[in-house]
Amino acid sequence: MLRLGAKKLAGLAPRVPASGPAGVLPRLYHERVVDHYDNPRNVGSFDKNDPTVGTGLVGAPACGDVMKLQIKVDEATGKIVDARFKTFGCGSAIASSSVATEWVKGKHMEEVLSIKNTEIAKYLRLPPVKLHCSMLAEDAVKAAIKDYEGKRAMSNGSSDGAKDIPLEKAADA
Amino acid sequence: MWKRRLNAPLSAALRRTLAQAGRATVPIHSASQRLQRLAEQRAPSLSSDVGIAGLSHFGRRDSLWSSGRSCCSESAPECWNCGAVARKSATTPFLVCESCRSVQPVDESVDYFQIFGLEKKYEIDVSNLEGKYKDWQKKLHPDLVHSKSEQEKEYAAGQSARVIDAYRTLSKPLTRAIYVLKLEGVNVDEEETVSETELLTEILELREAVDEAADSQALEQIQSQMEDKLRHWSNSFASSLWTRKFEDALTCVRRMKYYTRVKEEITKKL
Repeated sequence: MLRLGAKKLAGLAPRVPASGPAGVLPRLYHERVVDHYDNPRNVGSFDKNDPTVGTGLVGAPACGDVMKLQIKVDEATGKIVDARFKTFGCGSAIASSSVATEWVKGKHMEEVLSIKNTEIAKYLRLPPVKLHCSMLAEDAVKAAIKDYEGKRAMSNGSSDGAKDIPLEKAADA
Repeated sequence: MWKRRLNAPLSAALRRTLAQAGRATVPIHSASQRLQRLAEQRAPSLSSDVGIAGLSHFGRRDSLWSSGRSCCSESAPECWNCGAVARKSATTPFLVCESCRSVQPVDESVDYFQIFGLEKKYEIDVSNLEGKYKDWQKKLHPDLVHSKSEQEKEYAAGQSARVIDAYRTLSKPLTRAIYVLKLEGVNVDEEETVSETELLTEILELREAVDEAADSQALEQIQSQMEDKLRHWSNSFASSLWTRKFEDALTCVRRMKYYTRVKEEITKKL
């Protein structure tokens, strides 16, 4: 039943913005994967030059995946107020990043850094071959926070603003 | 088994004379008589029924047996079925016996380049692969051995699958590059997370462009862009390999992987 449901959902669903390979999801995925694949949360982008935005850009050469995860931080409290992602990859990668954006929202950055890929994988019941997808999501969150902190350090150091910060610093996680 | 049986007349004769010398050993005597009878029954059938063919068969078995002993000192592969030894100078690997056409067990030490009679290098003439691939399948395909033993069917399934794998691997630049590196002992870590921002930003933009492409013309334009990029990075890979700069070679492989992926996405949409 679940198999059929998953196939139907993935096959008949309208094209979601971030669903790179719109192929049918491999069988036997947990319904949460299908749910996040079918209705990805927080798809989209923030302006990467916004000083309150941290951008994490990571990739997995195994599948040629690329994942962009952005956080918007309340500078006063250090809390993540919003998050966006854009992932071109398999269903597991999309679901992992979708879950990650849900989990980081409303949390303090310190808290978020403790999110482990194994928690995402456990939540989505990812099969062993797809563990690297959750790893990618964890790395993307870390890269986003690093990017944000890099921007802040720069704007504190010089009054130039964060506009000219090379993006390489961001994803150096 | 045969050899032992054929040796029986000699030993039987020996025992007979022994037994005749000392009558006391009755059990041996009767046993040797049984052996002798067996040998006598066996002998005429050998000469009359099987004739020349049987003899030549015997001869081959014998050579298998004796060369089996010496195989430890030299490693030229030999046919499991007829015992024919692979020619050392042969340019094609020993997947099929030239004498009896039996499919041989898979030998992992034979690499994909050897299967296609090619020098071990990245830049190859891909146009020759298909013909050679088909030649192999004419000899190895599991359908050809459906009436043979289970063992040989298993060999054929293994060999045929390996030749398919070899063909697929060598015919595409990306998989060939990864394979060449593997032969050099450099493994492409597929689990790693890359954070080359420049590359990833480019790929993200490309994937968005593919997603949002209005018509096939736009897609084809990106497609040809990707082909240029692949050509460029394939050449870079070749020179990195030549100078044995494996880190650079891995960078090239990563890029080839991503551009290939974009191409695949375009193909899906076209």
